[in-house]
Amino acid sequence: MRTSMRIGRRAALAGMAGAALAPAAQAQAPVTLRIFTGGQQRPDVMRRILDVFQERNPGIRAEVEVGGATSDQQQQYLNTVLASRDSALDVMLIDVIRPAQWAAARWAEPLDAYLGAERDAVMARYLPAYREANIVGGRVMALPYFADAQFLYFRRDLLAKHQVAPPKTWDELSAGAQKILAAEAATSPSLRGFATAGAPIEGTVCTFLVPLWGMGGALTDAQGKLALDQAQAQRALGLWADLRAKNVTPANLAEIATDRIRVDMQAGNLIFAMQWGYAWNRFQNDADSQVKDRIGVVPLPSFAGSAPATCVGGWQLAVSAFSRNKEAAVRLVRFLSSPEVSKMQAIAASHLPVFPEVYEDAAVLAANPWFRDARAVVLGARARPVTPRYAEVSEAIRTSMNGFLAGTRTADQALAEMTQRLTPVLR
Amino acid sequence: MARVRVGPLERAERRLGYALLAPALLLLATVVLYPIATLLWTSTQQLHLAQPWLEGFVGWENYARAMDDPRFWSSLGTTLIYVAVTVPGAILCGLGLALLANLPFRVKWPVRLGLLLPWALPLVFAGLIFRWFFEYEQGLVNAGLGLLGIEKQRWLSTPDLAFVATCAAIVWKSSSFVALVLLAGLQAIPASLYEAAAVDGASAWQRFRHVTLPMLRPAIVVALIFRTITAIQTFDIPYAMTGGGPGHSTETLAMYVHRTTIDVLDFGYGSALAALMFLLSLALTSLYIRQTRRDEGGG
Repeated sequence: MRTSMRIGRRAALAGMAGAALAPAAQAQAPVTLRIFTGGQQRPDVMRRILDVFQERNPGIRAEVEVGGATSDQQQQYLNTVLASRDSALDVMLIDVIRPAQWAAARWAEPLDAYLGAERDAVMARYLPAYREANIVGGRVMALPYFADAQFLYFRRDLLAKHQVAPPKTWDELSAGAQKILAAEAATSPSLRGFATAGAPIEGTVCTFLVPLWGMGGALTDAQGKLALDQAQAQRALGLWADLRAKNVTPANLAEIATDRIRVDMQAGNLIFAMQWGYAWNRFQNDADSQVKDRIGVVPLPSFAGSAPATCVGGWQLAVSAFSRNKEAAVRLVRFLSSPEVSKMQAIAASHLPVFPEVYEDAAVLAANPWFRDARAVVLGARARPVTPRYAEVSEAIRTSMNGFLAGTRTADQALAEMTQRLTPVLR
Repeated sequence: MARVRVGPLERAERRLGYALLAPALLLLATVVLYPIATLLWTSTQQLHLAQPWLEGFVGWENYARAMDDPRFWSSLGTTLIYVAVTVPGAILCGLGLALLANLPFRVKWPVRLGLLLPWALPLVFAGLIFRWFFEYEQGLVNAGLGLLGIEKQRWLSTPDLAFVATCAAIVWKSSSFVALVLLAGLQAIPASLYEAAAVDGASAWQRFRHVTLPMLRPAIVVALIFRTITAIQTFDIPYAMTGGGPGHSTETLAMYVHRTTIDVLDFGYGSALAALMFLLSLALTSLYIRQTRRDEGGG
């Protein structure tokens, strides 16, 4: 509570400063836009892109505000800003799961009027999943910045050394990891087999859904009603129980958040990881990376006899309904959501493009050879439930999953608890 | 009771008195009474930002929902355990620190700094520091256990251990405040009492038991009240260390309020939970205050 009050006060001060500047802005002084992003979404790359925008739009300046290590922490901050109708932020980068909630709360300025006659043509250019995610109740609530899906990252050098082929099934992954771990135990005691998000954060929702979908299961039916088959869900959780029993996953999996997986792999301590697209660029280009040119990326494994599954991720640009510079903000958003910027991000940050043609660009493929196969993965990725009450859905799943991964709940208990809490929300 | 006659001069003085009090009262009303009233009013509303079409007055419904909510009871239970462990823990450690700091050191500043530093540190920083202490792969605690030949422990994802780790952080963080309060109390005890006791042949333990402790009692009660109120509001340290996990086994009432209002945007229910937390705080504090009143009454 105390934290939110402090933020509120700071935001109020920022709001006053904004009000003081407003008359000056009308007198041809530059408009200053403030855009919010998370630390994991490469604010440094966004800054470089904004510099290009400023050069082309001399009347507009854009500042970046960075906050929140995880999607849910970012949203917590934005909740306090927007629930108090603060105008300090003009544009916000939001997770692909949020537009429905933002539409219900009326926090995002609908963009249809600004897009005008171009609306349908603009939207038709994006990959279908992102077109659909950003149109809520027939209105365009945000425009996509970059696409994402979970892939299997692996240590090419270790797999080659121990003659393990990149796994196509979870069984192959488990066997390969055990073989390499046994052989490397003496020389690299800190090496672990496989990691995915397990802390009580948004990423852990995908840790639940990926094996469930991989078994042909579903969380909701076509009407958005809870349709969890308990027996099937239990078998899906069996994947994680099995990898834990075989010591393939780290003992502290329930403490691991998304970027921690990237850090561990970058330090050379992981053979396999279920991770989003951004990690590739960090492995290849970070000064402290121990795994440059030693990482391979393939689609996630499947269960023998069925198709692999992965979560749709990605980040969207919403214009705040409380912004005082909506025209300029929309102009910025349209630039940031262009094929040109999609290409810049793909090269500088391995952010997956939201336009199908950018995947075939020669410069993009030179920086990310694995993008050749990535488009099919993004096209096949599945969306988490779309509902204004997604925050409650996520909270129920990640809390029960975290208890299960920590070993404090059996699969039965975790699923019963989850179902009890999801039933009133997903109906 | 006979009415006391009030002269015109005195009446004018009283008016002046009220006028002088008015700004302070007004300030209190805006920063304390108004938010509390708003909270209580919101707690009778259905106000969920993800379902704005359902808004409206619901009376006691949010409170009834809390009574049926297993998560409310479990977070209340966790909060009470935090109170039961960290309040006595901080008082004992704080008393030890205060006695230590009260020794006649030649150089006083390192002792004072040692006392002030944990208190001056923001709570969430303390939580982050301790999270790294108890980290599984790289943490100091597991490294220390390794030296002793004990297996690494999952401090932050085993319910009992997570509880021990967060309590250790809270006690470390809050005992310095207790020590400051008690140190002030210790320094107010006249040296003559100790001299008299020494003359009577009292041992060090007897001097502590029969001089220090009774003289320190008011300071201990003050420290208890403050520590209990902050323990009921425990939020930052478990939030930074475990996020309430594993599952929601270290989730306190304040964290559940935060989750309901800030994560889920259910302001109505969140306000009802906050009002219940306020009641708990009021109940525990009034126990202490009654105790102090009795002390004063008894002389």
